[in-house]
Amino acid sequence: MALPVSLRTSVIPQELELVACEQLVEIVPLVAMERTAFISGAYGPLRPPSKCKVPIWMAANLKMKKKCHIVPPEWLNVEYLQDRLTRETTEPQFSEMPFRFAEIAKVLLDVASDDFQNSDRLRSLLKDIREARQAKSREGLSKLDHSDLNLPNLCAIEINEIRPFFVRAMGVLTQLTKDPAGQQMTY
Amino acid sequence: MSDQVLTSTANCAGYTCLAFARDGSRIYTGGSDSLVRIWKTDLGTDEEPDLSVDAAEGITTLAVGKDIWLSGSADNLVRQYAKGETQDPITITSAKAVPIRCVAVDPKSQRVAVTSDEMEVKVISLEDTTDMKVLSGHRKAVRRVTWHPSGSLMTTCGADGRIIVWNMSGDEPKEEKVIEGVIPEVSDPESPEFSHDCSAIWHTSGLHFFVATKGHEIVTISRNTWTKASTYSDDAATGAITSLAMSRNGLYLASATKGGIFIWSTQNRRMLFRFNGALNAMVTQLAFSPSQNMLAWTDVDGVLTRWPNPIPATAPDPVTITNASASATVPVKRAATPTLFDKDEDAKINADVDLDDDMGIDLDNDDWILDDLGDGMIDDEKKWSGKDGIREMVSVTKAQPAFQPGSTPMENKKRYLAYNMVGVIEVTDQDTHHIVNVEFHDRSARKSYHFTDHFKYDLASLGERGALYACQPENDHPAHVMYKPYGLWASQGEWTYELPKGTKVLGIAAGGPPPTKSLRMQSDADIQGNGNAVIATSDGELIFLTGGGVERCCLSLQGDYVSMVAGPEWVFIVHRDGSTTMDGSQNLTGRLIKFDDYCLLQKDTLPIAKGQTLKWIGISEEGAPVIYDSSGVLNALPRFRLPFAATWTRVLNTNALARREGKQESYWPVGVSGETFMCLILKGRQEHPEFPRPLIQELPLQLPFKRTETKDGQLEEHLARETMLLDIIRDGLGDELGTDEIARRELALDKEIIQLIQSACKADKLARAIDLVKLLHHTASFEMAIKVAQFYHLLGLREKIEALRDDREDGDDRLEKAREKRRDRERDFVPVAPPRQLAFTESSSSSMPKPFSDFRPPPMIHRPGLERAGPSGTNASTIPTAAKSTQQSIATSESTSSWDLDDSQFQDEEYVANPTPDGKRKRSEEREVTINTGAAESKRRAVGSEAAPQARANPFARKPGADTNARPNPFSSRPADTLMNQKSLHKSESFFTKVDAAEADKSKRPLKGKAKEKKESGGRQTTLFGLPPPAPPSISTTSSSDKKTPGPGRPKKKQPTPAPSVAEETQQSTVIDSQATEIIDTGDSQATEMDVNMGDETQRTEVVDGNEDEPIEWPESPAAGESGLPEVEVGA
Repeated sequence: MALPVSLRTSVIPQELELVACEQLVEIVPLVAMERTAFISGAYGPLRPPSKCKVPIWMAANLKMKKKCHIVPPEWLNVEYLQDRLTRETTEPQFSEMPFRFAEIAKVLLDVASDDFQNSDRLRSLLKDIREARQAKSREGLSKLDHSDLNLPNLCAIEINEIRPFFVRAMGVLTQLTKDPAGQQMTY
Repeated sequence: MSDQVLTSTANCAGYTCLAFARDGSRIYTGGSDSLVRIWKTDLGTDEEPDLSVDAAEGITTLAVGKDIWLSGSADNLVRQYAKGETQDPITITSAKAVPIRCVAVDPKSQRVAVTSDEMEVKVISLEDTTDMKVLSGHRKAVRRVTWHPSGSLMTTCGADGRIIVWNMSGDEPKEEKVIEGVIPEVSDPESPEFSHDCSAIWHTSGLHFFVATKGHEIVTISRNTWTKASTYSDDAATGAITSLAMSRNGLYLASATKGGIFIWSTQNRRMLFRFNGALNAMVTQLAFSPSQNMLAWTDVDGVLTRWPNPIPATAPDPVTITNASASATVPVKRAATPTLFDKDEDAKINADVDLDDDMGIDLDNDDWILDDLGDGMIDDEKKWSGKDGIREMVSVTKAQPAFQPGSTPMENKKRYLAYNMVGVIEVTDQDTHHIVNVEFHDRSARKSYHFTDHFKYDLASLGERGALYACQPENDHPAHVMYKPYGLWASQGEWTYELPKGTKVLGIAAGGPPPTKSLRMQSDADIQGNGNAVIATSDGELIFLTGGGVERCCLSLQGDYVSMVAGPEWVFIVHRDGSTTMDGSQNLTGRLIKFDDYCLLQKDTLPIAKGQTLKWIGISEEGAPVIYDSSGVLNALPRFRLPFAATWTRVLNTNALARREGKQESYWPVGVSGETFMCLILKGRQEHPEFPRPLIQELPLQLPFKRTETKDGQLEEHLARETMLLDIIRDGLGDELGTDEIARRELALDKEIIQLIQSACKADKLARAIDLVKLLHHTASFEMAIKVAQFYHLLGLREKIEALRDDREDGDDRLEKAREKRRDRERDFVPVAPPRQLAFTESSSSSMPKPFSDFRPPPMIHRPGLERAGPSGTNASTIPTAAKSTQQSIATSESTSSWDLDDSQFQDEEYVANPTPDGKRKRSEEREVTINTGAAESKRRAVGSEAAPQARANPFARKPGADTNARPNPFSSRPADTLMNQKSLHKSESFFTKVDAAEADKSKRPLKGKAKEKKESGGRQTTLFGLPPPAPPSISTTSSSDKKTPGPGRPKKKQPTPAPSVAEETQQSTVIDSQATEIIDTGDSQATEMDVNMGDETQRTEVVDGNEDEPIEWPESPAAGESGLPEVEVGA
C-alpha cells in the first residue's frame, strides 16, 4: 500500500463520510428531473413538491446548487438528540444511535444548516453526545481483555477511532495470556 | 333597568380587577393606578364612585367576604376593609417584596387565601390574622386561588402550569391532587398571557371546575377523577380565553376572549349568547352579579362595562337557584336539561333540547349556530316572547363566505395568497403597498419573481401557465384583474382587465394545460397558449378570458359564489344554490364548466356533512376535482369525464389517521398527487400555516375501508384505490385501447387480486373468490387463478374460473368493450377527452433516449474469444437483440400449447443436434443440476411438476410491467424493451385470436437456427420461478410427442379451445414433466402413463401437505439459484 503507515491501520473519517454518503435521505427537490441512472443506482424522478429519497451525496450536491431542501432525518432534531444525550450521560451503556449518525449529521449540517431548525443547538448537542460517548469508550479501555470486546451501539466513526489502539492492545494482551512462556522468551 | 350597556372608565389603563359585593350592591374595581373604586350597581354611569387610596402600587386583586372586602396590590400588602368602606384598612398579610397575585375568601368568610409571586400560598383566618397556614407545592409564582363551594377544597393555579387541589377540611391542609398540563406555563408577569385568567372556577354543584387550557379551550375537570371531563368550544369563540366567570346558580358560564364575550350553558356545553358590542381591549376579569341578571367586566383599558340582562327573559335567570344548578353535571343528563328554558316546559322544548345535546357532541368544530348568535336572539325578540304557547328554536346556519383555495388571512403583516402544487404567492404588507413574492416548487420549470403591488391584490390564483391577481375597488380605482403568464419577457404577455365601478371580484382562477417545456426560458408566445382565466364578480357574472387576454364568455352565477379552481380543461366552481338549510348544511353545489365550449360537464351537490364547511377545493394530479371539508374528509370526483355521471368518492378521512392519535393537529391541503395527499400539518388549534413556509408533508390516500387491519382488507383497499385512479386514466383514453402504463398497472393489480383469491381459497370462501376472479383484468391472470384453485383442490371453483375465463375470451376483448362503452356514451354525450398536445411540440422531442435515463444494462461486448463453444451454425445468434427475445417470449407464452411446442423444439435442438460434450456445456447450469443432483429429487420433481405448467400459464412471466416496479437494481433489466413491447401486449390478444396466419407463420419456422432463441426464452422462464424446468431427456421428447399430437399447426387452434380441453392440456403437460424426471431417476422408460400419473399425483399431494399452503411461491422462490437474470422478482 502506498498509504503512510498512520493511515494503513484504519480508514480515515473522510472515507467514512464518503461511505455514509451512500445512505438515502429525503429531499424536497426544487427542480424536476426524470429518473436518472447513476453508478450506484437509479434515483428519482424528482417531481417538486413531492419528496424523494436520494443518496446523501446527491442531496448535498443538489443542495449546494440550491436545487433542493433536505428533509432532516427523524433522529436529527433537538428533542431526539437531547433525549439521547440525557441517556448517554445517565446510563452506563452506549445509547442507540444510527450507525453513521456522526458522518451524516456532519455532512447534512455542513451543507444544509438552513434546512434545520436550530442548527447551532444541534451541533452542540452532537458534540456533547460525541464527547459523552468518547468518555465511555475511554472508560472501556480499562475493561479491555485479550479475547473479545463487546460494545453494542458503537457507531462507525467511534469504532474507527478506537480500532488502531484496541486492536494492537488486544494483540498484546493475547500474547500475554495465551503464551506466557513465549512471552518469557521474547523478553 | 334598561338593557343598555354601561361603560365607565374606572381606572387608568393596565390590569384591572373587579369584584361584586356578595349581595351584589356594589362593584369594586382596582387597577394599576393603585386606586379602588366602589360602584353602586343601582346607579348609572354618571355616578361618582367612592375611592380608596391606600395602596401604594397597582391593585392586582380584589376579593369580597361577608361584610368585608379585601385588596391585594403590587406593594405586597393585603388590606381588609369593611363593606363599602374606603378607609381604615387592616393589613392582613404581606408578601416579601413581591406583588400579591390573588386573594380569595372562602364561602363561609372565615379564611382568606393569599397568593403572591412567592411559591407559597398563605391561608389566613379572618378572625385571627396570626393564624396562618403556609402551603407550599408550586415551583413558581402562584397566580390564582379559588375555593370549592363547600370550602373544603381549594385550588391554586401556578405559573409553573400546575393546578394543585388542596384539601382544607382538616386542621392541616393537604395536597389532594396535582393536575399538570392543563393550564399554560406563564412565568413572565409582563407578558399579556400572565394577565389571562387561569383560575379554576368551581361549579356551584362542587362536582367539577372549569378552567381555560393552554389550548384555548374551556374544559371541565371532574372532582371524582381529576381528569378532563368535557370541553366547551365553539368556532366563534376562538383565541386565548382571558377570563371566566360562573353565574351564581351555576347555569351559565361566561368566558371572554379577544373576539368577544360568550355565555355558555353549563348543562349542554353549548354557547348560548354572545355580547354584541365590540371589545376594545382585552378583558381582564368577568363577573356575574350575585343578585341581578348582569354581567360586568373590566379590561386592560381600565374600563368597567356592565351588561344588564345578558340572559334573555325567556331563559332561566342566572341568579335564582334551581334544582338544576345543583344537579348540573358534566355529561349532560336528561333530567337536568329541561330547566334551560323554563320550569314549566312542555314536551316540545324537551325534545328540542335533547336534540341539541345530541348534536352538541359532534359539533365541536362547527361554524353554524343554532340559536346562540346574540343578534339572532335579540333581534328575533318576538320569536322568543311573542307567542307564549309555542316556543321554537330557529336554526340559523351561517353561510360560509367565499374563499380562494390556498389563501390565508393577513397575520403579522404577512399572508399567503395562493399555495398549491405549482407554487406559493406570499404577500408582505408594507402599509403603503404590498410586496408580492411568487415562488414555485419546481424552479426548473418556472422562474420565481416578486413585485411591488400598489393595488393591494387580495385574490390570486397560480395556474400552470400564469398567475392571476385581483384587487378590490378602492377610492378612485375600480377593481381589476391582472394576468401574468410565466416565461414571457417582463410584461410582454401581461394584461389587466378592469371591472366597472363598484363591482367586486369574488374569486379568480387561472388554469391551463401543464407546460411541455420549461417556462424559465423566456420566449415568444407558446403555441399552447397561456391557459385560461376565470373571474367571478359580485354582479353575479362568471367571466372567461383566455390566457392571451381575449374575453370569451360571460356566464351567470347561480346563487352565491363560494370558491373555484381551474384545471387544464375546465373550471370547478362551487356555489350555493339558494341559501343554507335550516339543519346546518351549507347546501353547496359544484359545477365543472369546460373551457372549450363553456358547457357544463358535471353538476353535483358537494358531500359536506351538516354543520361542516368547505375548506379547500383543488384538482388532483390526474385531473379529478378534490374537496376537503372542515370535518377532515377528502373527497374526489374520479370519473369526472363522464358527463353528469360522476360521483364523489371518499379518498381520505384524516380523523382516522394513525398519526393523529394522541395529537392535536389538522391538515391544511395543498394538493393531491397520485396516491398522496400533500398538505401542511398544523399543530394544535392553528388554522393557517404561518411563516416561514412549512414543509409540505405527504399523507397516503386511504379509502375509508373498515377492515384495513387485515392483510386482505388492505389489499382490497389498495385495489379499490388503484382502480379508481386507473378509471380516471381509462376515461381519458378516447379511441385508444389502452396504454403501456395502464397495462402495467393492471397487471400489478391482477397480482394483488390473485393474492386475495388465494387467501379466499384458503379460507374456503368460494363466493368471494369468484367475485375476485371477475375483477381480473388480463385473461392470462385467469390461469393463475385456476392454478390457485387447483392447488386447494377446489375443483368446482376451478371450473367456474375456467368458465369465466372462456366467457372473457369468447366475449369481446375487455379493452374493446370498454372502448365500446365509451363510444356508446358518446352517442349521448361526448366524453371529454384530454386535450391533445399539438404535434408542433411533440416533434421537438427526439426518439433518442436521454443520456441518463437509459436503465438497460450496458450492451454486451462481443468477445469471440470468450464465446461459448457450440456448433458454428447457432453461434450467429449468440447475442439476440433484447427486443427480439422479449417478443419471442411474449409470443411463446401467449398460449400454453405454444409453450409445449417450444419445449419440444428446444428439446429437439438441445439433445438431438448437440449430443457432444460441447452440447452439454451449452446447457445452463441449473439444467445440469436438475439432471444430475439426485438428492432433492422428490421435491424437485414435485415442484417441477407444479411449476412447469404454472410457468406456462403464468400471466406475469411475460408482462412488461411486472419487473419494473419491484426491481432492486434498475440497471440489470430492460425497461426500455418492455416498454417497447407493451404495445404488442394488447394487440397480441387480438393478434392471436384473429390473425391465424401470423401464428402459422411462426410455427412453420425452421427449427434449425432457433435453438438459441428457444434457449433464451426457456432460460427466462426458468428464472421467473426460480425453478428449473424439468430437464427433458431425449426420451421425453418422444413420449410427449406421443401424447400430445405434436405439430406446428396445433397451437394456433389451442387458444380458443373450451375449458375442459385446456385443463386436459395442463394435466397432460404435468404428466409429461413428471414422467420426464421419473425417467431420469429410474431409467425406466417403459413406465405406463397411468402409473406415472398416479405416482405424480401422490408425490404432489405429499409436497402440498408439507409445503404449508403456498401454491404460488411468491417472492422468495425465484431468487434461489439464479444469477444474472433479474426478471425474477415476479411477486415482490
